Amino acid sequence: MKILVTVKEVATVEDEFEIEGTEIADQYLGADLNEWDDYAVEEAVQLQEAGIADEVVTVTIGPEDCEQTIRQALAKGADRAIRVWDDALEGVDLLDVEAKTEILRGVVEEEDPDLVLSGVQSGDDSWGATGVSLAEDLGFEWAAVVNHLEHDLEDGIASVRRELEGGVEELTDVELPAVLTIQTGINEPRYASLRGIRQAQRKELDVQSLADVGVDEGVVDSDLELTDMYEPESESDVTVWEGSAEETAGELGDLLRDKGVAP
Amino acid sequence: MEFGLTEEQQQIREEVRRFAENEIVPVAGEYDEEEKYPHDVVDKAAEMGLTGPYIPMEYGGAGYSILDTSIITEELFSYDPGIALSIVSTSFGCEAIMNFGTEDQKERYLEPIAKGEKISGAAISEPDTGSDVSSVSTRAEKDGDEWVINGNKMWITNGTVGDFFVVLCETNPDAEGRYNGFSQIVVESDRDGFSAEKITGKLGIRASDTAELVFDNVRVPEENLIGTRDAAFMQQMQFFDETRTAVAAQGVGIAKGATRAALEYAQDREQFGQSISEFQAIQHKLAEMATDTEAARNLTYKSAWKVDQGEDITKLASMAKEYASRVAVDVADEAVQIHGGAGYVDDFPVERFYRDAKITQIYEGTSEIQKNVIAREMLGKGF
Repeated sequence: MKILVTVKEVATVEDEFEIEGTEIADQYLGADLNEWDDYAVEEAVQLQEAGIADEVVTVTIGPEDCEQTIRQALAKGADRAIRVWDDALEGVDLLDVEAKTEILRGVVEEEDPDLVLSGVQSGDDSWGATGVSLAEDLGFEWAAVVNHLEHDLEDGIASVRRELEGGVEELTDVELPAVLTIQTGINEPRYASLRGIRQAQRKELDVQSLADVGVDEGVVDSDLELTDMYEPESESDVTVWEGSAEETAGELGDLLRDKGVAP
Repeated sequence: MEFGLTEEQQQIREEVRRFAENEIVPVAGEYDEEEKYPHDVVDKAAEMGLTGPYIPMEYGGAGYSILDTSIITEELFSYDPGIALSIVSTSFGCEAIMNFGTEDQKERYLEPIAKGEKISGAAISEPDTGSDVSSVSTRAEKDGDEWVINGNKMWITNGTVGDFFVVLCETNPDAEGRYNGFSQIVVESDRDGFSAEKITGKLGIRASDTAELVFDNVRVPEENLIGTRDAAFMQQMQFFDETRTAVAAQGVGIAKGATRAALEYAQDREQFGQSISEFQAIQHKLAEMATDTEAARNLTYKSAWKVDQGEDITKLASMAKEYASRVAVDVADEAVQIHGGAGYVDDFPVERFYRDAKITQIYEGTSEIQKNVIAREMLGKGF
């Protein structure tokens, strides 16, 4: 079985920051592997270690700068990586879900995986749509916000548990090939081992252009435009009690009763 | 000339930082206060391969260079020196086995260290033997095909948690020349006649285990001898460049951690209606701390890089060790000063850095010994 994991380098922001136009000012920005993708990679590597998957391949859409981040996934156990980039993608402000879907579809068709794992969302853009959109486009079955996956995958069926709203969960079976969008907490992502980091330097990181994955440059044209960037006003307050559990549990109980959460 | 780190080295640093922030920082105060060895953290570090990173790939390590290892040491020490030492010391003594051991010894001793299954130690100092290493009196006598060892070792890192120790013993009291007649012999801690007593009440690095070892007619097979009989002093001398560079990296880490803490505090703390980082007196302190740290780092990296090139760098390693440890103590001192009263209690990590820094001027050759070495090399006096 082959697993393809979509990964992305995301922008991270310091606690205090300033907005310039429709962007957060550069000096407040860092970069890291998308948190949800870290869980997706871990899930794939665990399936490989359990002898269920034979190969784990990661795919990202991003410039050369992101290779160091992408190698994190290789250091944690992915076998090889694909990075799609193209001159046509340089300077594109907003790569929308439709464009990502088309590009990733090209890679899926080329790689022919049995299972595609993606993070539920990216920590910066937070569309939360790419995985499902990709599945729809490919005609694959899919399950979103998966927080448990049975590690047997017998008879081409993935048994998953997924989060619905309001704390409700659903147990369901998905027929492979499928796309699962992975929620944080599904596993405990490992640290890349020093041996892993060393070995990752020698693993294949294949760079492909839009043409290589069979996608037209027009893919970057979008109906969407980013018009504004602002900090939302907080609509609710948080109450914090200082002290030990013995001292504060009663106060929490009172508040929950007041709010009608507890009887 | 190339001053940049490779992509791989940057990745190592990032991942070690992640590990330290998640696994070390939350528990550092507790282990320091209770003077307790951090078995849980060391086990997790072992999973990541932080125990014995320089052990070659074929024995389960990552085969990293002294420069790579210095980067790891610096990063770990910048979060908590006590736990950091517990992690990097799990392979103490193994450099002798790596360089002078037989194939069988390497497989037997290095693999379990790299995998985190065992902990080693180097036993050199004695109650009456500190800076004057040639006065070692722990005796190993040959009896048939065994060594019989008697004596005491003092200040031994990992003493009560170690599984084996590379012990410096006198094997030929009649040897000519004060540096001849010593051998390095591996003693496993489960041998009859071996005992260890934990030393408590340390000023700093309190998570790290330190003990006095007693050898009372301890018998080990002759194949536990590392390298050449009676030539241990010469063997040991070769690692001074490495071990002193390693302590220099510890000093750089402590200075980096103390600077980081002071910078954060200075920006948060408000007095006279503004953050104290707005005051030039504080700014100048921070600037000097960062500059001294960077200078110590460059000296340390150069020393590590030269060791990796296979150069003999006695003087440079001593310079790095002496300077970086002095910077660690000075910078930690200033970090406490910036914290004011808050730095004098254990609410902030700088109090710990201040106590932890001092040991770097003492172990692996005191600052005075390092200066002796530097001057001796300058004057061409040999040893």
